[in-house]
Amino acid sequence: MIVAEGKPVEKILEMIAPYKKVLIAGCRGCVTVCLTGGEKEVGILASQIRMARSKDGNALEVLEQTEERQCDAEYNAKFLENVGKVDAIVSLACGIGIQYLGEKYPLTPIYPGVNTLMLGANIDVGRWEERCFACGDCVLDKTGGICPIARCSKSLLNGPCGGSQFGKCEVSAPVKEDIPCGWQLIYDRLSALGQLDKMSEIIPAKNWLRAKGPRTYVREDLTLDRS
Amino acid sequence: MTEQITNIRIGIYLCDCDGKVSKKVDLQKAKTVIQSQAGFDYIRATDVLCGKLEQEKIGAEIDKYSLNRLVIAACVDPFIMRQFLQLADEKGINRYNVEFVDLGAVDSTEAAVAAANNALGKMHLRAEIGYEELAVTPDVLVIGAGSEAAAAATAIAKSQPVVQIDNVGTRVIGLDGFPGAFTVRLLENGQAVKKDFGAIVLALGAVPQYDKSKYGGIELGADILSLSQFINSGKDYAGKKVSFALGMADEDSLLSFAAVLKAALDLKGEGASEVNVLYEDMKVCADGLEQDYELARKKGVNFLKYTGEFQIVRFPSGIAFKYREPFLSDPVKIVADYIVLAEDFVPAAGTLELAEILDIRTGPGGFFQKDNVHFLPIRSNRAGIFFVGSCHGPIHGTDLYNEIEAVLAEVSAFAKGKVSVPSLQPKVDAEKCAVCLTCYRCCPHHAIEIVHGEEYNNMYYSAARMNPLACQRCGVCAAECPGKAIQLPLYSDQEILFEVKQPARIVAYACENSGFLASEFAKTLDPELQKDLQIVEVPCSGKIDIIYLLKALENGADGVMLCVCHKENCKFVWGNDRAEQRKERTQKILNQIGLGERIDFVHVAANQGNQFNTAVKAMAEKIRQSGTNPGKVVK
Repeated sequence: MIVAEGKPVEKILEMIAPYKKVLIAGCRGCVTVCLTGGEKEVGILASQIRMARSKDGNALEVLEQTEERQCDAEYNAKFLENVGKVDAIVSLACGIGIQYLGEKYPLTPIYPGVNTLMLGANIDVGRWEERCFACGDCVLDKTGGICPIARCSKSLLNGPCGGSQFGKCEVSAPVKEDIPCGWQLIYDRLSALGQLDKMSEIIPAKNWLRAKGPRTYVREDLTLDRS
Repeated sequence: MTEQITNIRIGIYLCDCDGKVSKKVDLQKAKTVIQSQAGFDYIRATDVLCGKLEQEKIGAEIDKYSLNRLVIAACVDPFIMRQFLQLADEKGINRYNVEFVDLGAVDSTEAAVAAANNALGKMHLRAEIGYEELAVTPDVLVIGAGSEAAAAATAIAKSQPVVQIDNVGTRVIGLDGFPGAFTVRLLENGQAVKKDFGAIVLALGAVPQYDKSKYGGIELGADILSLSQFINSGKDYAGKKVSFALGMADEDSLLSFAAVLKAALDLKGEGASEVNVLYEDMKVCADGLEQDYELARKKGVNFLKYTGEFQIVRFPSGIAFKYREPFLSDPVKIVADYIVLAEDFVPAAGTLELAEILDIRTGPGGFFQKDNVHFLPIRSNRAGIFFVGSCHGPIHGTDLYNEIEAVLAEVSAFAKGKVSVPSLQPKVDAEKCAVCLTCYRCCPHHAIEIVHGEEYNNMYYSAARMNPLACQRCGVCAAECPGKAIQLPLYSDQEILFEVKQPARIVAYACENSGFLASEFAKTLDPELQKDLQIVEVPCSGKIDIIYLLKALENGADGVMLCVCHKENCKFVWGNDRAEQRKERTQKILNQIGLGERIDFVHVAANQGNQFNTAVKAMAEKIRQSGTNPGKVVK
């Protein structure tokens, strides 16, 4: 799932300062699941910015709408009526949704209400951890099903490095939380699987071109000729 | 199932309660004001609404005007409520479609009109509540090997099938499903098997355990015995001096005291020459114990009170207790042939593992159940799983039989293989459900499952569903849902937000188990203080959504309070903790936009009217310092 966090409200208020009427657009996909951009958060942000602008004596009208997925044009079409009524949109979808909704309504300015953080798993209520980097060249077969790109701070393909201490990564300290050493995790998993020999296999340098955008993915067997 | 009904016809009745109400409220004027607005189909004011003739008249009016919802504005008491609910039942009106307005509690015509309008508005927004007919498994699983489990199994077997397991030879390794339809995974002679049960009764008991650290390191031996060693020794104590000691390890438990009394009486019967019982606090508050104590004294058992810690000293010729008596200056020595020390009780082996497997909470001493004033003794945090006996703390004698009776009353509801329950559990709008599992994970009662099927109209063809027998209606799930897909009947967002459309200066969201009751008590102590205060009742503080707090402020309140149960004492396990987290976030939201300190979080019990008033004063002072809410949105 794509994981996002809410943007500081002062930033959002700055973006929409010139406007009198805005639409907050939520998404029922990943950002609902990661508790950042569903109908509930749309309501909370709407209430907050209404009050903020009332306090400044510069009343703001806020419309609220949440649809299935902002990364699909058909769902974005449902925003048409409300987009027509407002000066600007604040989208609480991930970066993909924000842009794609914006593409649908090119004459209405769109602003991000969230920062898109990572591809992660929901460990428990209120906690998410990165698991995939979308590098385009998966090596999980060689690493016991644990991704060295996403989970090693240096994305080393042949680890661990000297900064692995007692199972933790040396970069832990500045970010306060203990980060497990990705390569320790790989070692432990391979050990449990009886595949430790894979540790001595040198993984050759990756084709990082596949990790660099702009990327497009086309399946000729599926594309429709709409002419 | 809940369905939105379209043909709502509301009758509103205003009662003067034989002149009581018109001392403060001009009832005719109130009626005229309400009549001038829309929102009802029939209105009538009368002197006394609760008479028999009136009931017949209302019955006829219900038929004549095809009323299907009622608002009864009267001096509400349980008698009147029962009478009208009965009338509703007779007339085929769902009892959840009758709303009461307490005119005894309002002190002006305006307040009476406002309260009536509030009830009318909510009646329009209320979803129809149906009843669900559910098939259930009558079979009950009793877990435990001792006498307590056997007694429970025997009692339950009279009404329905029972399987008793000792949790050693056959043990529980997993649990799925809901009350009435549990599937228990068992390990039976090394084989994993699944069996269906409607309810589970835990009766693992407690075991005595001698812990020498509680007795200053005293080792047991030939003449120093633990209480259970003594009971099982089978020796002849005729002509011997035996001294018992209570209170050092067993925290003066009734169970130890009862055992010591019985042993002392037996010893006297067997011709022991001297029997002494050292105690710190006498605990006789159970059936029969005081009689036994009196009898023991009559038969010559000596009861000796000590203070502080006693010692055991050894002579060439024997042993003695050395202790301080509260009223004598010098230490006292009691010589004995045998010294018997009461032990601590600890949970039976396997208690903790079973708690983890069933997700049942443990509390003081590692026994089942948290130390929480709202939890009934036999109920666990999961409906359909019950405790009997010492597995939730050592209990004695008649208490056990009371518990068995209470459990029997609960499990026998399933004896007929089907139950009918009002569909009051939260309802999920599948179109909005993202199947994110937030509700599933936040439910304190394991009442939620994810179901799949064509009828769930979203891209996953799936939705969360609350089980009507497992759900305890706290509303935590509804407040946590990021998609606003969950609504708790009788407390929907619509109904609650309707109440704060034009809020008072201070809005207090109050848990009906604590804060709400405290507010009612507080009003009798200082009615003036609640002039600017609006109480919004919620089933649990865990139902208080961030949006409720924000909307009250957006609509013009200057301050918001959350009145919740004391810490560790939420009836629904962690509702008050979730409320506290939401309060923190909401205050941050206000700080970000410079609205100042406007939210108070108050732990208050039902009987703390004074504390409630103190909290209201503190809130008033806080908003006096923060000033009028500048965030109010003028519409």
